[in-house]
Amino acid sequence: MAGHLSYEEGKKVVVKGLILLGIVTIAEVLVALIGKGYIIPGFHMPVWLMYFFMISMSLYKAYFIVYEFMHMKYEMPGMVKSVLVPTVLLIWALIAFFTEGKTWKEWRAHTKDVAVNISNIPASKHAEHKEMAPVKHVEEAIHGEAAEAIDSTKLNHTEEHKVEVEKH
Amino acid sequence: MADHAAHTHDSHDHAGLWDGAKEPFKASYGKLMMWYFLLSDAFTFAGFLIAYGTLRFSSPSWPVPDFVFSSLPGDIHHKPLIFVTIMTFVLIASSVTMVRAVQEGHRYNKKGVVFWMFLTILGGLAFLGCQAWEWTTLIGKEHMTIHNNPFGSHIENGVYLEGDGHDIKAGDSFVAGSSYMVHKHAGEWAPLKYKTESGDIKEQQLGPKAFGALFFFITGFHGFHVFSGVVFLLIIMINAWSGIYAKRANKYEMVEKIGLYWHFVDLVWVFVFLVFYLL
Amino acid sequence: MSSHHTETKEQDYLIESQGYDDHFHEHHHGDKFQMNFLTTYIFSQDHKVIARQFLITGIFWAFIGALMSLVFRIQLGFPDADLIWLKPFLGKWIVVNEAGIGKLEPEFYYALVTMHGTIIVFFVLTAGLSGTFSNLLIPLQIGARDMASPFLNMLSYWFFFLSGAVMFYSLFLSTGPFSGGWVAYPPLSALPQASNGSGSGMTLWLVSLTLFVVSVLLGGINYITTVLNLRTKGMTMWRMPLTIWAFLVTAILALLSFPVLASGFFLLIFDRSLGTSFYLSDIFVNGQILDRIGGSPILFQHLFWFLGHPEVYIIILPAMGLVSEVMAVHARKPIFGYRAMIYSMMAIGFLSFIVWAHHMFMAGVNPFLSNFFVIFTLIIAVPSAVKVFNWIGTLYGGNIRLNTQMLFCIGFVSMFISGGLTGIFLGNSAIDIQQHDTYFVVAHFHIVMGVAAFFGMFAGIYNWFPKMFGRFMNDTLGKIHFWITMIGAYAVFGPMHYLGMAGVPRRYYRFDLFDAFSGFDAMNKFITIAAIITFLAQLVFIVNFFYSMYKGKRVTTQNPWQSNSLEWTTPIDAGHGNWPGKIPTVHRWPYDYGKDEREFVQQHIPLREGEQHSSH
Repeated sequence: MAGHLSYEEGKKVVVKGLILLGIVTIAEVLVALIGKGYIIPGFHMPVWLMYFFMISMSLYKAYFIVYEFMHMKYEMPGMVKSVLVPTVLLIWALIAFFTEGKTWKEWRAHTKDVAVNISNIPASKHAEHKEMAPVKHVEEAIHGEAAEAIDSTKLNHTEEHKVEVEKH
Repeated sequence: MADHAAHTHDSHDHAGLWDGAKEPFKASYGKLMMWYFLLSDAFTFAGFLIAYGTLRFSSPSWPVPDFVFSSLPGDIHHKPLIFVTIMTFVLIASSVTMVRAVQEGHRYNKKGVVFWMFLTILGGLAFLGCQAWEWTTLIGKEHMTIHNNPFGSHIENGVYLEGDGHDIKAGDSFVAGSSYMVHKHAGEWAPLKYKTESGDIKEQQLGPKAFGALFFFITGFHGFHVFSGVVFLLIIMINAWSGIYAKRANKYEMVEKIGLYWHFVDLVWVFVFLVFYLL
Repeated sequence: MSSHHTETKEQDYLIESQGYDDHFHEHHHGDKFQMNFLTTYIFSQDHKVIARQFLITGIFWAFIGALMSLVFRIQLGFPDADLIWLKPFLGKWIVVNEAGIGKLEPEFYYALVTMHGTIIVFFVLTAGLSGTFSNLLIPLQIGARDMASPFLNMLSYWFFFLSGAVMFYSLFLSTGPFSGGWVAYPPLSALPQASNGSGSGMTLWLVSLTLFVVSVLLGGINYITTVLNLRTKGMTMWRMPLTIWAFLVTAILALLSFPVLASGFFLLIFDRSLGTSFYLSDIFVNGQILDRIGGSPILFQHLFWFLGHPEVYIIILPAMGLVSEVMAVHARKPIFGYRAMIYSMMAIGFLSFIVWAHHMFMAGVNPFLSNFFVIFTLIIAVPSAVKVFNWIGTLYGGNIRLNTQMLFCIGFVSMFISGGLTGIFLGNSAIDIQQHDTYFVVAHFHIVMGVAAFFGMFAGIYNWFPKMFGRFMNDTLGKIHFWITMIGAYAVFGPMHYLGMAGVPRRYYRFDLFDAFSGFDAMNKFITIAAIITFLAQLVFIVNFFYSMYKGKRVTTQNPWQSNSLEWTTPIDAGHGNWPGKIPTVHRWPYDYGKDEREFVQQHIPLREGEQHSSH
């Protein structure tokens, strides 16, 4: 509550906020431009360093807006926790979702490799190994450990299935 | 029956805010409800931004923002991120005027509240205007829509075999990772031919579709929040003017609540700005 | 009668002499909110009326949902039967062949399965359960006049009503309602041309559930704020009944998970209506490849289950709270491990947000990532087991009244154990390779969150019916209802475990045509007959409910169950504002049963000279 600050102090915070958020925003844009060589020709920053600066400056801006402008700094600690702690749940969501996104990209690339390998098989062989050929090539084409795990289960399934079909 | 009067002491045993009949957070229910609504809204936006990140991670290439967002009104090009920085300033400024309105509310200064809220509304409208210009340019001139995205990046080194009449001339060379924009001529995409280092002749490809769709979707959803914020601000400004909040004698709490919403819109923009324009 | 009278008088005297005066009645003379019929019964802002609205709407939907399950159960149990007798009800969805034999349209079978899931999960077990009892009990048990915002509370019901109306309308579309499963996975939900129900049916499904999300959020924000800010004097957080704790945790889960579902829905709406490709990639329709690339259907599954898993606990936690409270009252014993109950609820609430991908082990999730989801999932067994032991500990040595609501509580614990154990099987990604998408899964979640949640709801209805309608439900009919339902539920879902182990997949139209599954014809018949009998038992409940509402035995005392919590200190037919004068002040926790030779001590009764607070 602004009750914790006098009116004059409050006005100062406002000016401070305007300047601070302005400077941080400009700094972010400068990092983006310098890092990619727009301002000093030939000078580049490592991507991870740029990302680190940008993300931490954005988090600082978010902190400032929530704590000063939205008065979180002057609220009861319990209330601050009740609003901010739940956002921790998003951390695991970020990790899990992004890992998934990366996995899709890798698997798609593998699928393309497999497709290429299959199309390279001579037509005569296609006919011979109608069932097994693609599976074999999946095994060959895939290098990732995780992918191997899943595809070996697929392989087993197919084999089991085959056995069953033969029994019938 | 006999013992009821003598034992009122135990309600004093746990002197504290959590004893009941008090507001443990020293915040009215209205303010709490606004905070928890904002928390849930934050999860909606988090859902969108996480979906954005996931699709971006799953895409082999992604347009470079300082190449995409580099136009200014007045047909100025190649000024990366300048326009969006101005937009961000406008929104920050409107947030600051909102803080001033709340402060004047605490002093029961009706004129001050109305004046600063009016400036906030102007800031919100200015932001929406900027966004309208940005969208118009992207859709109308650069032909980025939710279905197509002309912004791509090269995955290998090469040399252009033809020019586009704008920035690229035949014979220009490029390296992997550099950006390009596919132009439209007479309503048809006109991708340029180029020769890769290994000697293959290829054509520019349109960039990942998800970029355009996510951009319009998420900035649109944010813009919708700004728009509804402006409407609410307008209503509350008129109410404040009429004097009904002064009568309630609760330090213009309604102005404080809409203020929280307005700052939240600014807060979301911090992250939209980060993921779409910076990273 | 006269002793009751003095008891009431004593209570009123206690409240008046010690109670907390909020000057409510000085401001609300004649109650401006409830002036006419419309504002008293339709657009009421009284939480007690809104609770009854939620309950009766929930019963209506439960009836529809159960009827749907009977139709598809008959199809599965008797695939060759002539269903022409259903023609008057289902119309063109019963196709009559040349021989005059009526068959259920396969597309409509899928629509029925989809609607059964959607209706029971969202409309009955979310709105009908949490909506009813959060509304009824939160203000009454914490000593509040009403919710923090009665107006938003009213809107919450009417958004739910609207959502239901849209869904009901979709049942009568010429192309049928949505038929792609209640989880609405793309591409079936994203491409209007994918199946019959994917067109208008899906559009209305999305509209309906978006309205439902609004309803849940309006309710949830209200419940949380009310519990925090509106407790009466002396009602510390550690003196709240476990029901209130359960509703609080439920509301927090809803507040954080439903918005993410909304995000997923909005992206889906764009994919459907505006041709974006958030969830689509490399899609062929009729041999034509669509111009939709770059998205992933698994993205929707992730967003959906980020809600979907907390949703499971949004369903079961209120039932747990109701059972804990009812069990303590009717075992005449303090709840065993009050704090352990609360901490385990919080633990379950937290864990529910980090386990969602265990619904997707076989959908193509990174197997390395699955490891973590397996570990988190199995940890949930710990707080769940704590709760089960505490319920059994509460019953142990109790002076148990075996009335209907107590029977349903015991039934709940039984169901929760049986269903919970199979959950440990399914939480292992390796075992899930075999069990996923089989009847094992169907059996698991029907027992643990379907039947168990229903049992919690029944326990609540039988227990608080006197508070809601001023009359008792018939206990004999109640016991008939319980025993048939209990045995029936195990008869229906028990054999399904076996079917699942044998590999019988879910969502198939008929099994008799498959060599591998035709051996289970008799078992499928048995399940269907058991389901019909169980359904008939629910009719006993519905008759009992509506009969008792008008003709049941009248409640003559304020506190018919001799319970400790505050709702039983209000008048039998409490008006808007709940207490006629002051609000009672609270002096103790709600589980002082059998303390100092006293059978029960209500929360608003002060401590005697030298009496210590019960340690808990």
